[in-house]
Amino acid sequence: MPEKQIVLKNCQMINPRDINTYLARHDFKALAKAQVMEPDEIINEVKASGLRGRGGAGFPCGSKWEAARNTPGDEKYLVGNADEGEVGTFKDRYIIENDPFTFIEGITIAAYAIGAKQSYIYLRSEYHRLRNLLENAISQAKDKGFLKHVKIDIREGAGAYICGEETALMDSIEGKRGEPRYRPPFPTTKGLWGNPTVINNVETLMNIPNIILNGAQQFRQIGTERSKGTKVFSVSGDVAKPGVYELVLGSKLRELVIDLAGAETVKMVQIGGAMGRIVSSTMLDTSLSFETILGAGGVIVYNESRDTIDIVLRTMEFLNKESCGKCSPCREGTEAMVKILQKFAGGRGTPKDTGLLEELSSTMMLASLCGLGQAAPFPVIDSLQYFRHDYESRIK
Amino acid sequence: MAEVKVTINGAQTSGREGVTILELAQENGIKIPTLCYLTELSPTGACRICIVEVEGSRTLVGSCHTPITPGMIIQTHSPKVLATRKVIIELLFASHCGFCMLCNKANVCNLRELAADLDVGLSPFQTRKRFYPIEDNPYIQIDRTQCILCRKCVRACREIAENGILGIAYRSFDTKIVIDNDQPLAQDTCRDCDICISVCPTGCLSKPKKLSAAKTGKPLIIC
Repeated sequence: MPEKQIVLKNCQMINPRDINTYLARHDFKALAKAQVMEPDEIINEVKASGLRGRGGAGFPCGSKWEAARNTPGDEKYLVGNADEGEVGTFKDRYIIENDPFTFIEGITIAAYAIGAKQSYIYLRSEYHRLRNLLENAISQAKDKGFLKHVKIDIREGAGAYICGEETALMDSIEGKRGEPRYRPPFPTTKGLWGNPTVINNVETLMNIPNIILNGAQQFRQIGTERSKGTKVFSVSGDVAKPGVYELVLGSKLRELVIDLAGAETVKMVQIGGAMGRIVSSTMLDTSLSFETILGAGGVIVYNESRDTIDIVLRTMEFLNKESCGKCSPCREGTEAMVKILQKFAGGRGTPKDTGLLEELSSTMMLASLCGLGQAAPFPVIDSLQYFRHDYESRIK
Repeated sequence: MAEVKVTINGAQTSGREGVTILELAQENGIKIPTLCYLTELSPTGACRICIVEVEGSRTLVGSCHTPITPGMIIQTHSPKVLATRKVIIELLFASHCGFCMLCNKANVCNLRELAADLDVGLSPFQTRKRFYPIEDNPYIQIDRTQCILCRKCVRACREIAENGILGIAYRSFDTKIVIDNDQPLAQDTCRDCDICISVCPTGCLSKPKKLSAAKTGKPLIIC
C-alpha cells in the first residue's frame, strides 16, 4: 500500500507562523461544519470512522469521547498529549513544527464534542522551543475568533518519560509528582481534578478535521479491518533516509524500512520505541496495524553490525531510569533485569539467567501498575524469542 | 445501594456497589496479603502484592483499589497469582538491606511474614542495595535501608496526622521517602505523633532506642 498524506498534507505547504497561509488552504472549515452539528453527531461520526488512538494503545477515539460526554459534570477537560517521549519517535514534533493549525482545529472540535471549556496541550520539556510557535498559533486562532468556546493552555512537562502515560500526565498538569494512578476510575470519568477528561495524542487530533470535513465513510476506505486511516512513522537508525513517513495502515514493514527509508541490511527492527516490539529481519513482511504491531510509530532499524544484547541492555537501562518508582514490580524489576543483562553483556551469563529473565518478564507484565512496567519486558521477551543464540553464546 | 454478585474462588457471593475486591474478600474470610494498603488510608496500588486474577483481564488487578463489578470471576490464590506475588517479594528482598536477626521489628515485620507465607528464601535477583545513613531525632528514627516504599507513612502523615512532612522524591530505584524537600531530619521537624511509625510494615521507621544514657535520677538499689 502506498504512502498517503492525510495527517501531513499541510506540512511544508503552509507557514506554521502565519494562520493566513492555513486559511487559504482550509479556512477552519471543519470547525465551522462541526459547530452546526450536534456534539453527539460529531461523536457518532468519529465512532463510525473507526479512528483509534495514535499514541500507542489504540483505544477507539469516539468511545473515549462518548464516555467523557456521558459522564455528568460541568467541568470537562481535553488534553492534547504532545509528550512524545517514546524512544525514536519524533512525528509529533514534525507535525507541530509544520502544521500547528490543524492540531488546534482538532482540539477545538474535540472540545466542542465532549463539552470541554478548557483544554491543555501537554508539551514535553524537551520541546520547549515549540512553545513559542504553538502560543503564536493559538493567539492567531484566537484573534480570528476560532477559540470562542474553548480556552487552550500549554503545560510543559519536567522531563519525565512516564508523564506521557495519561494518568501520570494528569498528575503532572495538576502540579503533582507525575505518577500513574490506578484504573478504574478511568480519566473519562475521573480525570483532571476529578473531572471527566479526554487525553488524545497529537496525531489522533490531527485526523479529526479530515473526518469531520470529508465524512467517516471516506476515512474508512483505507486501512485494514480494525485499523482505519493512515499512520505517521518516524524512522531512524541504520537507514539511508531517516525521517517522518505517513503510510496507510496495514502497509508492510518492508515498504517503510527498505523502500522508503532505504535500509540496506536489517538485523532487527524495534517498532514502537523502548517499550515496543522487536522483530527480526525475517519478519519484514509483517503488516503495520493495530492488529499486529504498531506502537506510537517510532521505528528503529538495526543492521548486522549491532549487538542484540547491547540494544536490549541500553533499552532496559533507559526504562530503569525512567520508571517512576511507584510500583514494586517495575521499580525493582527493571533494576534486576539490567543487572542480569549486564552479566550477559560481559559474557558472564549463566544458564539459569534466561529463566530468571522470563520469570521477571511475566511478573512485570502481569503485576505492574501502568503500561510502562507492563510493556518494559517486551524487548527482552522478543529478543529471547528471535535472538536466543545471542544470549546463549554469552553464557560462560 | 445495589448488591453486586460476584464469584470469588469458585463461591458465589455478593457485596455492596463500590466495595473493592479486597474488602469483599475480607468479608468472606479470604486473606489477601497487602503491604501498602490500610483501611484508614486512601489506596495507592504501589506494592502490587494484593493482585488477584480476574477472568477477562489481560493483567492481574490490584484488589485494594479495584471495585467489584457484576459477574466478576475472581481467583485470589491461583498458581499464577502466587508465583507473581513470590517474585515481587523476592524483588523487594533483593534490594532490602540488613539482617532480620538484628532487626528490631523482625517478629512484627509484614515483609518477613509474607516471605514466610510465600516460601521465599534467598532472593535469586541481584540489584543494587539501598544504603542510606540512619537519621534520628528524639522522636523518630528513619532507617531507609529497610524501606520498601509502600508509602503508608507518607499517606498517614498527610491524611491522618494532616502534616504532610513526609514525601516521595527522586525516580526509579533512587526513589526514597524524604522530609519536606529532602531536608535532613532536624530536632523540630517531627514531634511525637508516632502515626507513621505505627503504620510502617518494616523496620524503617521506629522509636529511637533509649539506652541507659537517658536514665536520670537516683539508682533504685543502693548498696
